[in-house]
Amino acid sequence: MLLGFNDNYNLIHYTFLFIINVGALGLSFWVYLAGRQKIENRFFLLLTIFLLFWIDGGYLFSILKDFTQALFLGRLILGMVCLFLISLYFFLKYFPIKDKKEQKTIDTIILLSGFIIFFVTIFTNFVVRNVELTQWGNNPIYHPIGRIIFYGTIIIIAILILFKLFLKYSYLTKNEKIKVQYFLIGLSIFIVINLFFNVALPLWRGTIQYWQFGNYSAIFLIGFTAYAIVKRELFGIKVILTEVLVGVIAILLLVQVLVSESLLEYLWKGGLFVLFLIFGYFLIQSVIREIKRRAELQKLYEQVNRLSKTKSEFISIASHQLRTPLTAIKGYISMMLEKTYGKLPPKMKKPLENIYISNERLIKLVNDLLNVSRIEAGRMKLKLEKASIEEIISSVIEELENEAKNKKIYLKFSKPLKKLPKISIDKDKFRQVVMNVIDNAIRYTEKGGITVKAKDLKSKIQIIISDTGAGLTKDELSKMFESFSRGTAGTQLYTEGVGLGLYVAKKFTEMHRGKIWAESEGKGKGSTFYIELPIK
Amino acid sequence: MKKKKILIVEDEKILADMYRDKFTQAGFEVILADSAEEGLKVTKKEMPDLILLDILLPRENGIGFLKRLKKDPKLSSIPVVAFSNYDDPETKKEAYELGAKDYLIKTSYTPKEIIEKVKSYLR
Repeated sequence: MLLGFNDNYNLIHYTFLFIINVGALGLSFWVYLAGRQKIENRFFLLLTIFLLFWIDGGYLFSILKDFTQALFLGRLILGMVCLFLISLYFFLKYFPIKDKKEQKTIDTIILLSGFIIFFVTIFTNFVVRNVELTQWGNNPIYHPIGRIIFYGTIIIIAILILFKLFLKYSYLTKNEKIKVQYFLIGLSIFIVINLFFNVALPLWRGTIQYWQFGNYSAIFLIGFTAYAIVKRELFGIKVILTEVLVGVIAILLLVQVLVSESLLEYLWKGGLFVLFLIFGYFLIQSVIREIKRRAELQKLYEQVNRLSKTKSEFISIASHQLRTPLTAIKGYISMMLEKTYGKLPPKMKKPLENIYISNERLIKLVNDLLNVSRIEAGRMKLKLEKASIEEIISSVIEELENEAKNKKIYLKFSKPLKKLPKISIDKDKFRQVVMNVIDNAIRYTEKGGITVKAKDLKSKIQIIISDTGAGLTKDELSKMFESFSRGTAGTQLYTEGVGLGLYVAKKFTEMHRGKIWAESEGKGKGSTFYIELPIK
Repeated sequence: MKKKKILIVEDEKILADMYRDKFTQAGFEVILADSAEEGLKVTKKEMPDLILLDILLPRENGIGFLKRLKKDPKLSSIPVVAFSNYDDPETKKEAYELGAKDYLIKTSYTPKEIIEKVKSYLR
């Protein structure tokens, strides 16, 4: 009843068929039992059954002696290809999530064309006319037009399925996309191996004797898809590939064991097989451990990021809440000083000015806090435009003039003889840099004053802010631009600053690809701050 | 000369009173609204020359107000200056995209300076 090929040939195929049947059925039942109510799991079981009919039938067809039976089986396995594609189409309709849009027309086209070609193939001789016996078993003889129509329909259905999956991919979440990628990897391996055994090998060696192995690679499609459906945690392709590699080598070694010709050969090949299984097990375990460790690190990283975001959101809202009363104080005091509510008793002017200045300091502190939280959360972006550095320095000096006057120190800007070129900067942020450095200088200068200069150094512009103030030690110089750090003079002379201003100035300057640093000859000898910005 | 009419949409009563005092003294006719809904109602009725719009408002925020204002062809040409202490880059961007002339951070300006800004947009 069966064609008599050599025993080894049959043994190899039986081994593969056994592994594929047990493996594929095991996987699809595993999927089915993991969620019986899920439609995609039912379709997955169905498509596996059709696929196994196709694979097993294919082998049986090639070795059947009875032509009538072989002809019927040949037609039946082509019909199974149609049913497999229909079930694959409906499986992907629900995998990894249900399609957002119902496409009843496409559903109908796939169902109708699939079933028509199925019935025509099985019950007529329009596609397969007869069977011929070749050196490597039975071979179907196609009707020339029927063959084109059959394979044409199959290809169109396959393209439709992939096109729909491509459209669906765009609206999937990251995790869902990974699931589809697993399916596509399985599908690609299936296609590549089929192309190798059914196209490349016949062209290269002129033989079709290995075409069955193309069918056997369907186990990759089933394996990858089952894994993507069921596993809640996808460990990554590295684990899968290791498992596939170990699996393939194990199968090859097992085949070697089964075709052993002597007891000695059987023993050493068997031993090698067992040793390899142990080695493979530990290899897979170590890869899983590594991936798990990485996943834990990633989780921790995300947690830290979330916390940092929450913190900066809290500061944004808190800043807004703090600013509201500060706005009222600023507004009402300024209006009183502007005599909006009538003439002020002369004694009131100075205290009101002091309240105004203190309030400005509080506003600045809130602004700095907000800036620091944004810098640290990585949410700060530059809004670049061509601007004049001199104009910005002048406006800062104008704003801080009163503060310097109150302390009876001078604040002057020695403008360069030749006008500086306009450079590409974020005006607000650069203004903040100059403001923070000069404000810091005013705060720590009790006698003398502050001089601001600006120079064109060809490729960059340098701003020099020198004061005759407290001066800085080497240790202070090294910590000057860190957040919440102040020089010892800061802790001795003033208590209201928290050392955010220079940190913000440094960060903003660095965002402009510039440099900021301070120099001082020591205590009581004043300090000089340098800001350099590239000319762009 | 006819007084310029300014609508101030501001839910903080202390600030609304403060700006009303200063704008009135500077010769403007001031109308107050404390929510986006009321602001839109008043805009339709009074047709102000400029709207000074706070962004964080109860129920519907200033961005919602701007969206609805821009949809109404009769009102869309009224200049709007957003002013808020909510200094969020995304919100600022959205306000500009919806046609706001400026986005002022309230604490950075005295009422007098805000009037200067408003005058520059009324010219």
